[in-house]
Amino acid sequence: MESASQSSREAILARIRAALGTSAGAPSAPVAAPGGIFPPIPNPLERFVAECAANFTELTVTANRVETVEVLARILHELPAGEIYVQDIPELRELITRADGKDVTWSSQGPPAEACQATVTQAEALVAMTGSILVSSLGCGGRGSSVVAPCHIVVARVQQLVPTIEQALALVKERGLPARSSFVGLITGCSRTADIEKLLVIGAHGPRRLAVVLQQ
Amino acid sequence: MRGTAAQEFLRQSVEKTADLEHRRIIRWNIDNYDTAVNRGKSRFADWQAARDRCQQVKREALARLDDYLLQFEKQVVARGGKVFWASNSEEARNYVTELAVARGVKRIVKSKSMVTEEIHLSPALEKAGIEVWETDLGEYIVQLRNEPPYHIVTPAMHLTRLQIAELFRAKLPDVTADDHQSLVAAARRALRKAFFSSEMGISGANFIVADAGMIAISTNEGNGRLCTSVPRIHVAVTGIEKVVPRLQDLAVLWPVLATAGTGQPITTYSTLIGGPRQPGEADGPEEFHVVLVDNGRSQLLADPEQREVLHCIRCGACLNACPVFRHVGGHSYGTTYQGPIGSVLTPHLRGQDFNHLSFASSLCGACAEVCPVRISLHHHLLENRRNAVRTAGQPWKEGMGFKLWSWAMRSASRYRVLTGLARRAARILYSMGYEGSWIDPAAAWTAYRAAPAIPRQSFRQWWESQDGKR
Amino acid sequence: MPRVALFIPCFVDQLSPQVGIDMVQVLRRIGCETYFPSEQTCCGQPAFNSGFWDEARPVAERFVRVFENAEAVVCPSGSCTTMVRNFYRDLLADSPLREVAAALAGRVFEFSEYLVKIAGVEDVGAEFPHRVTLHESCHALRELHIQSEPRKLLSRVRGLELVELPHSEECCGFGGAFAVKFGMISAAMGDAKAANVDSTQAEYVTAVDPSCLLHLEGILRHGKHRARTIHLASILACESSREKGAAL
Repeated sequence: MESASQSSREAILARIRAALGTSAGAPSAPVAAPGGIFPPIPNPLERFVAECAANFTELTVTANRVETVEVLARILHELPAGEIYVQDIPELRELITRADGKDVTWSSQGPPAEACQATVTQAEALVAMTGSILVSSLGCGGRGSSVVAPCHIVVARVQQLVPTIEQALALVKERGLPARSSFVGLITGCSRTADIEKLLVIGAHGPRRLAVVLQQ
Repeated sequence: MRGTAAQEFLRQSVEKTADLEHRRIIRWNIDNYDTAVNRGKSRFADWQAARDRCQQVKREALARLDDYLLQFEKQVVARGGKVFWASNSEEARNYVTELAVARGVKRIVKSKSMVTEEIHLSPALEKAGIEVWETDLGEYIVQLRNEPPYHIVTPAMHLTRLQIAELFRAKLPDVTADDHQSLVAAARRALRKAFFSSEMGISGANFIVADAGMIAISTNEGNGRLCTSVPRIHVAVTGIEKVVPRLQDLAVLWPVLATAGTGQPITTYSTLIGGPRQPGEADGPEEFHVVLVDNGRSQLLADPEQREVLHCIRCGACLNACPVFRHVGGHSYGTTYQGPIGSVLTPHLRGQDFNHLSFASSLCGACAEVCPVRISLHHHLLENRRNAVRTAGQPWKEGMGFKLWSWAMRSASRYRVLTGLARRAARILYSMGYEGSWIDPAAAWTAYRAAPAIPRQSFRQWWESQDGKR
Repeated sequence: MPRVALFIPCFVDQLSPQVGIDMVQVLRRIGCETYFPSEQTCCGQPAFNSGFWDEARPVAERFVRVFENAEAVVCPSGSCTTMVRNFYRDLLADSPLREVAAALAGRVFEFSEYLVKIAGVEDVGAEFPHRVTLHESCHALRELHIQSEPRKLLSRVRGLELVELPHSEECCGFGGAFAVKFGMISAAMGDAKAANVDSTQAEYVTAVDPSCLLHLEGILRHGKHRARTIHLASILACESSREKGAAL
């Protein structure tokens, strides 16, 4: 199979080069920022709040650590009985302890179980333009941590907010995520489908509840 | 037109255009889509500039396609992934099937991928004794019904909730109610078992990001995320033309794809994947394979007139804008890709048997108007028609007819004589009541329309009679 | 006095001559001198659209020679105007008449765009006291970007009540040979258009393309709909209280 693959690879590349009429391409044009395509965002936090409401992200803004713990405790308490899966970092270890989280599996112990009720992670960044969370497998406890459970809880800081998708992608590059993290994703609201009569149903295969606790 | 594909298209389209219930459902779906898209476009300061940018990005991508594919491959391999280059459907199919068999795969979960439809992957896997579960809800529904997807973005748009409820009650164990929520919940329960018991997940890719060395997948349901997170092997199958040069390009492409596809600002899950699980990661597949499919694309790349057809980002907007699609429905095409892009692309991928699709258009241009990457689809239909005449030939009667027409039109006196004769004959026939009968040469017209009244005098006869009264 | 060459499409000449006659009347009324180059036959569109470019080319070349010295060419059809302005470039790419064709393209106008953009006239002294709806012909709309001109002209017609047609930009289904090769689809598209016309309760549906109107008239009569078609030129040709009926 290997040699067949090699010959196809060479054949395809040869066909592409013949089609383009050159074997060395011109250097790519400098990246033009998509300026003027999207309206400016004068108040990112305000925009983030509005977009979260529109995409059904449950956003709670807290003033300090104490409030964050309170909110987290409330959300955990509301969950049906069962395991919660938490990204294993010191900040979340501390928060979960303070919020009296029970039945915890940590990301260092392996992937999330199918039946877990919630996952708790941090985010790489937040995006105001679309009310999105930027996550990565390296920085947020793996891949399943943001999609397996019916409820995904994100603990974040306002400083993590960037205005646009463009800036979020620049951040991905700056942090060298492509080289270090096999998965990077932008999550915008909870899972949904409109495949039946174009009627929007919230909660398909991914989480039907996305709760973001955003501390000032 | 000749060949069974053309005949089948005609047969199905005749049936579908008469189906008023189908027309009602599709009209309703598309009206909803139009409303959502108009709302979505208003989020852009300059939608036209967005289209320009997307067109520019795709032009750049194709201009150095070989370099970008190599840049992508290098990074995937560095992370422990594998890249397989498939010249055609068969090679792609064989690679995935042989891999699955070699790894002892019994069950596969699939997220939406038009390329996997194009290469007929599922039947090959099933023949090898492997269970394949479509996990995109629309794809899952049509899979249960044993029919192909109706539309490249919304595969089940031809079905009503009640039809889907009936289907689920027949096929799934615990369907309790008929409402949309309950149906989606039933699908979730069934598919969740599949996600967590499958050894392989297969996905497509919306984009191949060259500088980051990652594929990008846009979904709403989360099925794409689960397919690429839970099973121990992830295979991504994609066309070679999906390249974009830079990660930054997604800043415009993601919102444009979502807006044109469904009217959303962005899809719920905009995912980038570059390899199998890396050291230090909590979970993820042990193996990552990318299958790059050519299957006629490099040939299209070599066509300077039609290369831009490869810019397509598979948003489905042209299908929704097309009045022909709306009336004949997605299944009538009999092809993986339907609507205007399907009509333009299919002869290049599957040959002369599908030339008829390029003729089944009124050339209204609505497709080109909505295309986010500015492909002049209706002009490419004209080019396909010209190519069809030159290479495959058209029915000899038509060829003779146009030669005669051309000869007649090259002389004003010939034109006058022949048209005068034709008009006189028509007036006689219609006055005798032969309109629509077997004698009527315009029967193809009069089958559906009242015949026009034939004027006594042509314009030029009137003009000449006015001589001196200018 | 501007001198305007009349480009009368072959099917207008033969099947809807009244459209040409009315266009001439309006042009004269606004002070144009009109003449009809009688050597013209066809622009070549039927063969071109069916993929027979080699058969269409000599016909197109002939057209270019017939009109090459005209200062302005006016045509009562968006699709035929499009053929000359937009598609001759591709069809005559290898022809010795390529340059002449390109130069001519800049001097060929659809009737409503000539009135509004070249002659600068919106009120042509017309009266047509009826309820009318406007179908937006595809070629005129998408290839020539003619959208405001017919509306401007109609807004100045005395007594005319213009009702917006739902989905006015949707194709009527004519499409040339498509209408007979795929008659069922063409008719279904026409039926959808007729249903939209019905919903406006208009007496007339108008457009700048006589081919759309021929097809729609056939659909409307066949389906026993109330409305009838009338070309924009025929509306504009109606002066004061002297009414004209629908196109012959």
